[in-house]
Amino acid sequence: MSRTSVGRTTAITAVALTATLVAACGGGGGDAGDGTVKLSIGIFSDFGFTNLIKEYQASHPGIEIEQRTVKMEQHHTQLATQLAGGRGAADIVAIEEGNIAQFRQSKDKFVNLADHGALELKDQWAAWKWNQGTTDDGKFVLGLGTDMGSLALCYRRDLFQAAGLPVEREEVGKLWPTWEKYLEVADTFTAKTPDKKFVDAAQNVYKAILDQTEEGYFAKADDGFIADSNDKVEKAFTLAASLGEKKQTGALAPFSQDWNVALKQASFATTTCPAWALALIKAGAGDEAAGKWDVAAAPGGGGNWGGSFLAVPKQGEHVKEAAELAKWLTAPEQQKRIFKETGNLPSQPAAYQDPEVTATTNEYFNSAPVGQIFGNSAESLKPTYRGTKDSVVTPMFNNALSRVETGKQSGAEAWEQAVNEAKAASAK
Amino acid sequence: MRLSWRDKLTRWDGKYTPYLIIAPFFLVFGVFGLYPLLYTAWVSLHDWQLIDGDQGFTGLANYAELLSDGNFWNALGNTVSLFLLSTVPQLFAALGLAALLDRGLRGRAFWRAGVLLPNVISVAAVALVFAQLYGRDFGIVNSLLGLVGVDPVDWRAETWASHLAISSMVMWRWVGYNALIYLAAMQSVPKDMYESAMLDGASRWRVFWSITVPSIRPTLLFTVIVSTIGGMQLFVEPQLFDPGGTATGTGGDDRQFQTLVMYLYEKGFRLFDAGYSSAIAWVLFLLILVVAMVNFAVTRRIASKG
Repeated sequence: MSRTSVGRTTAITAVALTATLVAACGGGGGDAGDGTVKLSIGIFSDFGFTNLIKEYQASHPGIEIEQRTVKMEQHHTQLATQLAGGRGAADIVAIEEGNIAQFRQSKDKFVNLADHGALELKDQWAAWKWNQGTTDDGKFVLGLGTDMGSLALCYRRDLFQAAGLPVEREEVGKLWPTWEKYLEVADTFTAKTPDKKFVDAAQNVYKAILDQTEEGYFAKADDGFIADSNDKVEKAFTLAASLGEKKQTGALAPFSQDWNVALKQASFATTTCPAWALALIKAGAGDEAAGKWDVAAAPGGGGNWGGSFLAVPKQGEHVKEAAELAKWLTAPEQQKRIFKETGNLPSQPAAYQDPEVTATTNEYFNSAPVGQIFGNSAESLKPTYRGTKDSVVTPMFNNALSRVETGKQSGAEAWEQAVNEAKAASAK
Repeated sequence: MRLSWRDKLTRWDGKYTPYLIIAPFFLVFGVFGLYPLLYTAWVSLHDWQLIDGDQGFTGLANYAELLSDGNFWNALGNTVSLFLLSTVPQLFAALGLAALLDRGLRGRAFWRAGVLLPNVISVAAVALVFAQLYGRDFGIVNSLLGLVGVDPVDWRAETWASHLAISSMVMWRWVGYNALIYLAAMQSVPKDMYESAMLDGASRWRVFWSITVPSIRPTLLFTVIVSTIGGMQLFVEPQLFDPGGTATGTGGDDRQFQTLVMYLYEKGFRLFDAGYSSAIAWVLFLLILVVAMVNFAVTRRIASKG
């Protein structure tokens, strides 16, 4: 759904590597002799489609649907090679928000969903989500939005209590109206409980702050590189780096094996949590931590982190049927059900404003009213512009923060190196 | 004299059948080996994007850029370092293991099959287990080091630590395999040579270095060449050791354990720069060729001495 599965388990990689080979040999779709249309959907984590697919097959005899799940990075790499080779891609493919700008460059490999009546559905989505999936001034519809990642902050109640901080989510939210205040809370926390880390990783904080700005590394107007002049990027970096310099982070690779272990061992107290991250935290921390994690409002207001789109590669044999299915899966009624099943927040106002959705609570997270928290956050959301080379330069800044966390560089040195690398890569 | 029809067939058979029999190999090699190799060379001369294809001929520009690319030299250095760190101790360990297996052990078949097990297990599974062993906060290796009073090591962050950890993974996988090859060679060493040495009062150690090792020299050289080729192409172990995984593919936050193939993968499949990636592939191919030729020359010299 999002940046969920980054390095989640290496075992998945093993499966994915194998799947890459197998899928590289197999074609997309294809027909059985009896006139059945076989459609495949390529996804990279639980999109909540399993039950919906069964239903769709029941109401559409003659259509058979198969899901192919691989790890997120593998998924996008594999898709790129399949598009390049002209075969092998699934009939419907999921593309993550951070990658869609890169694929937008190759739109001629995809079906323009406007030709399949997508334009009439435009108002289903939050305007920004719709825009992210389109190009050519909205005339070319590349992808239909599935979920989004509106932002909140998860914290561990028992660790907050031990540090003498408030534990109720309203009060916790009030502790950090801004990220500067969040850093102050970190200092208080560290002074009281020096053995525990305040936050899992500097790069998560950085990403969250950056996702609250209108422009990040690249200018909205002309896609030009502006990270060196956009002081918001430097500010976000400096704030996150200072947590690293003070050793208040766990220096963990987000969603990695170590991250899971650290969750299990309760070694950090807060982490940024877009809607899709709740499932990951629950899986990592395990049943014995039920009720110990809670969800509060994020510092600095709403932001969007992650979320995906469904696109239809041109090479498929049944693009018409595929487009119909993609439209059905992304319709508000279906997205609402997905939220209830998986917690993936819909990107359609009709779905996230639905009383059923807003009334949803998450028992594991101390019965936090997640529907309300994420719904509110979605309302105030101003998405960041993603440049074509966003996915190219992002790792440079993440690596830089990691170097600060491991004490190899100061924040200023790391920043300088990252900006220079990113500038060179963007000039190409 | 006129040849009979049957004679002609026999001659034809003798002349051409061997070629027919080996032809499938060359056919398959041509399709899956030579063609990709040449196509890669062609791609490397272009500005070639993975999805969108050819963006124009650029001649040797990719190669020129490669030579002044610090990240390339860094990856080359890491590859050589990882290769030396894993191959040298690996081959010595295999030699020792083979010598032990060569002696009359109880349950010989069990031990011999056992040493091959690590090689049979999927490399991804091995990497997963080792990644946990070398965990910074909760890894077993660090807790063992803690018992003897050594501070925990951040195995992924430090250059040397990460190289040692990855090398140990490679060794674990390949020591048994090489040991079995050595063992096979050792068993064909004539026993009477050992007997006469023993009669002359030579120690086991002396017998091993003066008789066993020189006798299996061609096998030693074979394993050196194969390990070299494998070592230069090291990819999965370090890639899966990287907590960022393929998301970054940089081999640590400072590229401290990025190998050449990882760099190739990063350029080609994360950044979609197929032209540059192909140039790396070709340089790597040439490097391996040079190393193999050096090995070959050394083999010939040593073989003729023997």
